[in-house]
Amino acid sequence: MASGQVSKRVKFKSSVKDPGTPGRLFLTLERLMFKPNSPNSATKLNMEFKFIKNHRYTKEGSNKAPMLNLTSSQGVSYIFEFESYDDLQVCKECVGKALSKTGETPKPVDTSEVPSEQPSTEELLSRMNMLRENRAWKDDGKRVQKPMLLYFLKKSKKVLDISDFFLYELQKLHKRFVRDGILTEAEFWATRKKLLGANSSKKSKQRTGLKSVMLSDTKPSTDGRTNKVTFTLTPEIVREIFAEKPAVHQAYMELVPKKMSERDFWSKYCRAEYLQHAKSANAAAAAEAEAAEDEELALFLKPDNLLAKETKRKIKCVDPTLDLEADEGDDYTHLPDHGIVRDGSKEITESQRQLHIRTLSQELNRHAAVVLQGTPIDEEQLKDTQTVAEALNQSKHGQDTSNEEADMNANQDRLSRISKMMEIDDLQASSDLPLAPLSIKDPRDYFDSQQASALKTSRDTSIGTDPVKRNLSAGESYASLRDSISLIKTTGLVDPIITPEVAVKVLSVLTHNISSTKYDLGKNPGLSVLDTLPNTIKEELLYHWTSLQELLRHYWSSYPITTTYLYTKVSRLKDAMSKIDSQLQELKESVLSDLRHQVTLLIRPMQQALEAAMQHYDAEMQKRSARSAERSNGYT
Amino acid sequence: MPQVRIIAKNFMDMVASLPAMKLDRLYQNAFICEAILRSLPPLAKKYVVQMLFFDGPISGKLLEEWVLADGVTKHKVAIDRLIQLRIFTEAVDKKRESSYKLNQTFQVNLQKHLTNGGVLPREPMASTVRLPSLEELDTYAHEQWEVGSSSLCFHYPSHLHCSGQAEKPTNLSSSMMRIFQRGLLTQRDKDAPRLTEGGFQFLLMDTNAQLWYIIRDYISNSEERGTDPADLISFLLELSFHVTGEAYNMNTLTEIQRNAIKELADLGLVKLQQGRKESWFIPTKLATNLSVSLTDSSSRKQFASSLMILVGMFFMVIVIMHATGHVVVETNFRIYAYSSSKLHCEILRLFSKIEYQLPNLIVGAITKESLYTAFDNGITADQIISFLQQNAHPRVAERLPSVPENVTDQIRLWEADLNRVEMTSSHLYDEFPSRDTFEAACDFAREWNSLLWEDSKKMRLVVKAEIHMNMREFLRGQK
Amino acid sequence: MTSVPSKRYSDDVSLVVVLLDTNPFFWTASSSLSFSQFLSHVLAFVNSILLLNQLNQVVVIATGYNTCDYIYDSSMDASQSSEKGRMPSVYSNLLQKLEEFMIKDEKLGKEQSQRAIASSLLSGSLSMALCYIQRVFRSGPLHPQPRILCLQGSSDGPEQYVAVMNAIFSAQRSMVPIDSCYVGANNSAFLQQASYITGGVYVKPQHLDGLFQYLTTVFATDLHSRSFIRLPRPAGVDFRASCFCHKTTIDMGYICSVCLSIFCKHHKKCSTCGSVFGQAQSDTSSASDHKRKAPET
Repeated sequence: MASGQVSKRVKFKSSVKDPGTPGRLFLTLERLMFKPNSPNSATKLNMEFKFIKNHRYTKEGSNKAPMLNLTSSQGVSYIFEFESYDDLQVCKECVGKALSKTGETPKPVDTSEVPSEQPSTEELLSRMNMLRENRAWKDDGKRVQKPMLLYFLKKSKKVLDISDFFLYELQKLHKRFVRDGILTEAEFWATRKKLLGANSSKKSKQRTGLKSVMLSDTKPSTDGRTNKVTFTLTPEIVREIFAEKPAVHQAYMELVPKKMSERDFWSKYCRAEYLQHAKSANAAAAAEAEAAEDEELALFLKPDNLLAKETKRKIKCVDPTLDLEADEGDDYTHLPDHGIVRDGSKEITESQRQLHIRTLSQELNRHAAVVLQGTPIDEEQLKDTQTVAEALNQSKHGQDTSNEEADMNANQDRLSRISKMMEIDDLQASSDLPLAPLSIKDPRDYFDSQQASALKTSRDTSIGTDPVKRNLSAGESYASLRDSISLIKTTGLVDPIITPEVAVKVLSVLTHNISSTKYDLGKNPGLSVLDTLPNTIKEELLYHWTSLQELLRHYWSSYPITTTYLYTKVSRLKDAMSKIDSQLQELKESVLSDLRHQVTLLIRPMQQALEAAMQHYDAEMQKRSARSAERSNGYT
Repeated sequence: MPQVRIIAKNFMDMVASLPAMKLDRLYQNAFICEAILRSLPPLAKKYVVQMLFFDGPISGKLLEEWVLADGVTKHKVAIDRLIQLRIFTEAVDKKRESSYKLNQTFQVNLQKHLTNGGVLPREPMASTVRLPSLEELDTYAHEQWEVGSSSLCFHYPSHLHCSGQAEKPTNLSSSMMRIFQRGLLTQRDKDAPRLTEGGFQFLLMDTNAQLWYIIRDYISNSEERGTDPADLISFLLELSFHVTGEAYNMNTLTEIQRNAIKELADLGLVKLQQGRKESWFIPTKLATNLSVSLTDSSSRKQFASSLMILVGMFFMVIVIMHATGHVVVETNFRIYAYSSSKLHCEILRLFSKIEYQLPNLIVGAITKESLYTAFDNGITADQIISFLQQNAHPRVAERLPSVPENVTDQIRLWEADLNRVEMTSSHLYDEFPSRDTFEAACDFAREWNSLLWEDSKKMRLVVKAEIHMNMREFLRGQK
Repeated sequence: MTSVPSKRYSDDVSLVVVLLDTNPFFWTASSSLSFSQFLSHVLAFVNSILLLNQLNQVVVIATGYNTCDYIYDSSMDASQSSEKGRMPSVYSNLLQKLEEFMIKDEKLGKEQSQRAIASSLLSGSLSMALCYIQRVFRSGPLHPQPRILCLQGSSDGPEQYVAVMNAIFSAQRSMVPIDSCYVGANNSAFLQQASYITGGVYVKPQHLDGLFQYLTTVFATDLHSRSFIRLPRPAGVDFRASCFCHKTTIDMGYICSVCLSIFCKHHKKCSTCGSVFGQAQSDTSSASDHKRKAPET
């Protein structure tokens, strides 16, 4: 054990029913080996721990044989039957250590041997982040506004939606290419990893978070016979209590060990807890009575001042310009001096039950907040309560200062925002820059330049304004107009206003016009071509588009082909692309005739890109074959 | 959450449900054609107008050509409604393409209306006597309304502390009374009538919806009174084209109409006057706006005023004192209502705490407790908010939002607060002897639809308390 | 039950401001459509708008040769009764006012000299329409959705260019679409642009005897319905500018930063507003520099 190597006599089994091969199991921190007793036996094992995914073992006391079951990442299980539980215990510890060790070190990327590496959620998140960044920054000038946008979005919660969206898209792509073996996991991520820069490569190792189970909820156990109640406190529970109830923490720092012993402190605490949880009324009364006598006990029973203080601090952070987002998660309304004045207690007396609901939800919230804050304490410090308390104190202190800093920053932010708003407001005095009056000699110039282009497009042959033939004098014209007005006045409107034939004709002309301009693409900036398509087709097109982009990126980045690996990759990509090509063709044929034109137009650029890739591939192949003919020792 | 959909159908659904014969007869009247046209969805209106001078059918495909992809459902709705109202007749040809033709009478009537204008069935009487001015007509309605409002408190649940004011309404016909008792009020034995949950919600409904409720019930009740609904509908529609404030001779009315108009006078739609020789009726604003209310368009100011009169007549609490709103809500949750009415005070009391009542001003505050009372009565946060918005004082109504955001959000939050944590009494089972027993127990609980939580690793499950006994039986059986 | 609170406009209630071209020189010259026919169609259209919704409102502004004026406002016209059943009061009122307007227009004309092109005062009536609409906007939170319909026949008046464009831009700013129905011989550049910029519809009817049908099918469509109705769109508006100096269409040119005049080559001085330009940078500079050249006044 000291040397880090353990060796035990075991039987190696491939399944529980298997009688097993007797032999020896050697365990080091890196690998495990099994050597059968009989040299003839084929069952040998020599593998690294990093391929072991988990281990199980039989519990002592059950009437089963002591067995250890190791499962590899491929899902194969190796079962070792030990001679005694002591042996099992020793090996178990060793395996546990080995596994935890390999778990921490980043897995070497050896994709050829680990075909289905499942990215952890954390990894995926960072990968997704990469993707997002990637999308935002690439595409040169066309997307200049994107980083700005992202910057703002990051401030709001919306970033979540966006990341959801990218995650979704990414998942789709991942599914399509990696699952189907067109790209390997490594290849798929490689294009994105590059853009992340140095940061991601030396990503700090993952910290273990707090458990989300509420430990302090663990009930006191009673032995049933006497009235004695036993609370079990582990350092972990203590840490949670400290984190969630700052008042207890403070009290502990003050009292222990100067004024009372650790044991006294905790029994007092537990007593308070017990009294508080006790349902009967006389218990509550008893609690009050006791609290009156014992000031330390009272400490635990009264509402937590520190919490209230913290909540107040949070409220202070709430922007007076009503930033609801900051307020959303917190329920401050239970604080007596927040919000509006309550009217008397007559109207609604909050029953004990409601109080209970409220405190329960408060506790849940508080616990959630602590869990989310994470643990600033290392596992090693989780030994005795004293260190826990101190460590927590330290980290809290750090946090407080950083909190204050954050507050300051937030304040600064707010101020700058307010000042910005002021700027926008045109309440400011007008700047007294000297104004030179615009002297336009003849606005006709403008008109002519517009008219020239407007008339050109309207397929009218006559250009410019043709002066009206003045065959009538002004007076006569006015008179004739007045005549027609009085004509209507006397005879009424033409009846019928239009004949049915004309009506039908006009409507059909208009309808024809409508249907002909229906597919006039891109003329109206407000209407995107895609929007006119039905949703399913639109989505399918977009999906193909993104997939194709992905494939093409991989495809072109593989050139020039220098290794066998790249060669196979390219041929794989080529196959996938030709598949998409045929899918596009199908899509084109499947759409309704009135949409086909548009869809064809949309598909064309994709097909052109595909074609270019194919041609390049064919040319390359020819060159290669020519070359390999020359020098028969090609690298393929 | 209580069902709020008291009003599901609108008036035109009722018209559409009339038998074909009666519908066709309705269309003989040009004004009814006009009113019906106005009630159609926008797209249907467009179809009718653009086909006004067609003599043949038009193919559905041609019409659809004009519709954008996301308007297809609207197109279908429009066509359906037109066919339902028998304005369109559908013909399907061999290629299964449908074409539509306008109802002949409907078409001709509208054409005539366009070229010649409409002709009312009766002319206003030559003004031999002094007719009440428009203001006087409004005051008339206001007076009626005050009578109603004072008797309103009568219907309030006792815990709202309004007593002593109970005057029996005297001038209300029993048929009108019945409309209300049916849905909105409950009367147990000798107790004073109380508002039902529906009644509470009615109070806070938007004004249009309230009118719907009343008109619909009035018409659907007509058969009980021996009147043909079609006649009533036609008369109501016709009435809407009369000129406010002009007098019309009663002799021009049919027997049925004369009966109806008396009831309508009760509603405040018309004012009846008696001369020496003949009697006449004067439509109020309410009557002339009737056809507006038949469309689905959102409520508007001018309409709200007339509605107020109508509803006031029913001494059902409504909404507005003047044509405009009266409520100002401040960011500190304080409410100021410029009103002297006891009625308004009571409405506000539904969800706020009334602090002072000055001669022309009611001051209150929205508090958590007062809102909880409202929520208990089945009023939703949305209803309260929309009430406040609709009745905003003109000064604040100009602003957006008319009710401060922090108040609306807080109201919603308080409502959501009630639903934050749901307590379900339950039992936890653990330490199962074997996985099979555990699985079986889970399945059992699932069958009873009361499995709340399970942890298969540690073999624990939480089950609703109701089936604890059954569960125990079951587990015992398992052993 | 999530009712949208405080809806500013009701769905399909419209305020249509009709600009009626009453230029006598156009109408007497026009052979395809007589003024009385035109009036018949328009009156029927106005009435059908009023028919569609009780709350619809129509305002008619006459665009004359010398002046323009409101000739009808349905909100002033309280009584809907007809004049002894022969003609709706809408028509008689409108015609009465139109006649008065014609007389006024003629009188004013006598004092002024005649213009080279017999254009009507579109800029004036557009401004009046926009003023009216602004008043409606400010009347309160509930008002009908306004749009402008130009019924124009006479050709564009170049001297009104700046005024018309200003009107168009302010319409765009207040989100008022300008529909235009041009019954003249050529297309109207003003109206094409107006409709394009403000998101309205431009139609030049081919069958003028069916004008009413055009009006009802296309221009009676309320703004609410336009979100799901396909309306005639121009085949495309060419936005390439032509230079002021040679009237040739150019893709790239010099723009005066003071008055936005366009020139195909560098000038020392703007011919439109007289601003003096600074020294042009070396001609070898990249194409993007073209636009940056600004006068240094």
